[in-house]
Amino acid sequence: MSLIRLTMSNFKRNLRNYMSLVLALAFSVFIFFNFQCVLYSDSMEVLNNYNKDYIDLIVHALSVVFGVFLFFFIWYATNVFLNQRKKEIGIYIFMGLDNKRIGKMYALEALFSGLFSLAAGLAAGVVFSKLFQMVLLRISEISVDIKFSFSLKPVLITACVFMAIYGLMVVKGYVSLVRSSVLDMLSGAKQKEMKAEPAFLTAIKIMLGVSVLGAGYYCAVRTGDIDSLAYALAAVILVIAGTYFIYGGLIPWLIRKLTENKQYLYQKQRNLWVNNLAFRLKRNYRTYAIVTVLMICSVTVLGTSIALKQRYERSEHFRTTYTCQVVTKTEVDADEIQKGIEKENKVKYRSSIPLLSLDPDKLHSKYKSANYAITSESAVKAAAEEAGLPYESGSLRDNECVHLTHIMLMSFVPEDNEPVTIGDQVFQQIAESNVPYLGDLQNGMSVYVVNDTQYKKLQLLGEVLYLYNYKFEDPENLDASVPYLRSLAKEDPDRFVGVNLIRTEDKEGAWVRVMYSLCVFMFATLILACGSIIFIKLNNEAVEDMERYRVLQKIGIQRSTLYKSMKNEIRFTYYCPFVLMVLTSYFSIHAVGTVMKEDLLRINVFSAAAILLLFSIIYLISVRAFRKKVLD
Amino acid sequence: MKKIVEIKNLTKTYGRKGYESVVLKDVTMDIYEHDFIAIMGPSGAGKSTLLNLLSTLDKPSRGQIILDGEDVTRVGNRQLSVIRRDKIGFIFQEYNLLDNMTLQDNIALPLSLNGKKSREILEKVDKMADMFGLSAHLNKYPYQLSGGQKQRGASARALITEPRILFADEPTGALDSRSSRDLLLSLKAANEKGKATILMVTHDAYTASYAKQVYFLSDGQIQCRLNNKEDRKLFYDEILKLLASMGGERE
Repeated sequence: MSLIRLTMSNFKRNLRNYMSLVLALAFSVFIFFNFQCVLYSDSMEVLNNYNKDYIDLIVHALSVVFGVFLFFFIWYATNVFLNQRKKEIGIYIFMGLDNKRIGKMYALEALFSGLFSLAAGLAAGVVFSKLFQMVLLRISEISVDIKFSFSLKPVLITACVFMAIYGLMVVKGYVSLVRSSVLDMLSGAKQKEMKAEPAFLTAIKIMLGVSVLGAGYYCAVRTGDIDSLAYALAAVILVIAGTYFIYGGLIPWLIRKLTENKQYLYQKQRNLWVNNLAFRLKRNYRTYAIVTVLMICSVTVLGTSIALKQRYERSEHFRTTYTCQVVTKTEVDADEIQKGIEKENKVKYRSSIPLLSLDPDKLHSKYKSANYAITSESAVKAAAEEAGLPYESGSLRDNECVHLTHIMLMSFVPEDNEPVTIGDQVFQQIAESNVPYLGDLQNGMSVYVVNDTQYKKLQLLGEVLYLYNYKFEDPENLDASVPYLRSLAKEDPDRFVGVNLIRTEDKEGAWVRVMYSLCVFMFATLILACGSIIFIKLNNEAVEDMERYRVLQKIGIQRSTLYKSMKNEIRFTYYCPFVLMVLTSYFSIHAVGTVMKEDLLRINVFSAAAILLLFSIIYLISVRAFRKKVLD
Repeated sequence: MKKIVEIKNLTKTYGRKGYESVVLKDVTMDIYEHDFIAIMGPSGAGKSTLLNLLSTLDKPSRGQIILDGEDVTRVGNRQLSVIRRDKIGFIFQEYNLLDNMTLQDNIALPLSLNGKKSREILEKVDKMADMFGLSAHLNKYPYQLSGGQKQRGASARALITEPRILFADEPTGALDSRSSRDLLLSLKAANEKGKATILMVTHDAYTASYAKQVYFLSDGQIQCRLNNKEDRKLFYDEILKLLASMGGERE
């Protein structure tokens, strides 16, 4: 029989064994292809018109993330598969094949399954790509018409990247086979012996794990403003290292302790599955650590993107407090302007406020901002009442002021309470407020609120401007009133300075929404990948366990007992990383929340619930697959 | 004495109708409490088939096996696994200890999975370990044990549930003579002091000489039976002589 025919028959015969590899590979191809499709689709071109630089940056960052993911996922899947196949391949040595030919056979088999997965992944990708883009844009709240378009470029890129990585792994497998001895191959699928570790080493690992992870959590809690950004970096590194040590030290130790407590061990089915776990953790702890870290990362990324979106929406809300703002030199009748507006638009609410625009030289503060203004407390109060905004500060003393700020997407600047000097008067900042009393204008100006007496005193330092703000019932219809609003300053330049129009659709913000939806997508992918890594691992273990379960059934252990034990073991495998992830993500999300000044606890809970749901589904599938392998 | 297993006209055939090959032909025998029976015979005589039928791993073509008053040939699979759990113990040629747990946990396994109290299990494990000379090795993993120790461990595991009958399939097949002797002495002790009922399949005359009775199986039928009269060495010679006269292979 020629090598190719032998390989073909092997492939057909082992299709079930190959299935997990093929599925895993096809899955990664599917994800990568869909991502590429988005990059090269019409919709992306439309988005690029909005804010090309940001979107390019995001897309490149995500491409790298997906590339890395693809690399590790393929590495893991092929490695598991190679070990699983080594024993069977080893038998061919007795049939007179040398290592080289065996290596070739493996490479051929792997190539078949690789091509098969590529084809399957691409086919599924083509079918679902439109749906996928639709979902993505739907989450982004961007309306772009998507045609079902098929372009060759994503197909080619996906195929090239996949085959390059996969080819590398196959070559790696080939080399490892050529180099390994017969004994290695025959025992490739066999379990290693359970060797006891010196007690002091375990103690060191446990202490390291607990203290490093604890330090990581501490750093996450300390992360806040610009001065503590080093904490964020330290937290990331410490949490990754800590997770690794926890799986290498504390958790195996705890389970070993459980196996030593016979009172506990000999109840229910624990004798079987707790022993099994203790045995396997030694070999699997890296996988667990990787899965946990991957999950923490994806939850944190999700948290960040949602925080960014919330923040963006808030600043959008801030910006659109009013639909138009008319600036005048003298006091005018607000009703007069409203009448003009109401020819085309209904006004929902309005407010007016005088502003003392300051010469920047007259004001001394830490920052050099071109636009400084002050206003009086009573004016802010009146404006707040008109527009239905909250006003919190009590009455200000002569030497006190409130700084009106705006909402920034991301700010590492701590609240500053340094005194400001306006003219010759020193004011103590007693609070910062980001209530949009001045609407959009507050975005471009630093405004201080002082009490009425001080305001009168300072009036000489600048020019008073009057701000008339109007919120329309239908802000989308702003354009109808634009001719009227523009005409004000043109026709009566003595009274009117200009008008600020605030449009609702801000294309600048599209990148935030695109990023948000891509992050959601990445979250889903990574979590699914975590689930499938555990799934592949379990499937692999099921192959090893077939013999064990056969023996157990032979010596009269009930199938129902074995089933329960198996379920417990699988449950631990899925939920242990989950629990550690929930604990850690609480801290990481908290840190993100502090930096973004957003409350993210809800996101924490929801993402954990989403992962729990997904893991539970994969768990159930896993139990079925495992049972099919070992008990049926 | 109480009859534990009653075998009536047991027949097992393989293959399609009209082309059947008969492996067991109308085998009839009784096994009483505290028996220690060895079944000998050349390869292809039907030893393993008989054992598989008796241990409910296989179903006969005809005939009855009445275990503890119950005809196991007419019982469903679920019920069979309960019977296997409660009434039957097994030892195999390959030891089949689980390599991921200590010897103590291995021996405790059947009881711990059957919901017995931990304290009770621990006491029983100690008792069995004592009987099989394993007390010093309880905390070791199977890979740290010799073949003989593993097989004695497997026997302890099989007997800890106090089965009505223990089936042993070539238990010394993979052991050297010294380990074989240790194992057989332990089984003998379990039979004499622990009152265990044992049915053992072997092709080795030395192993068989530890039993109380030896049945010779050939061409699917029991050809004859020898009884041990207290002296093992004499019994061994007797077995060898019989094997020679039957034309079976001599070792």
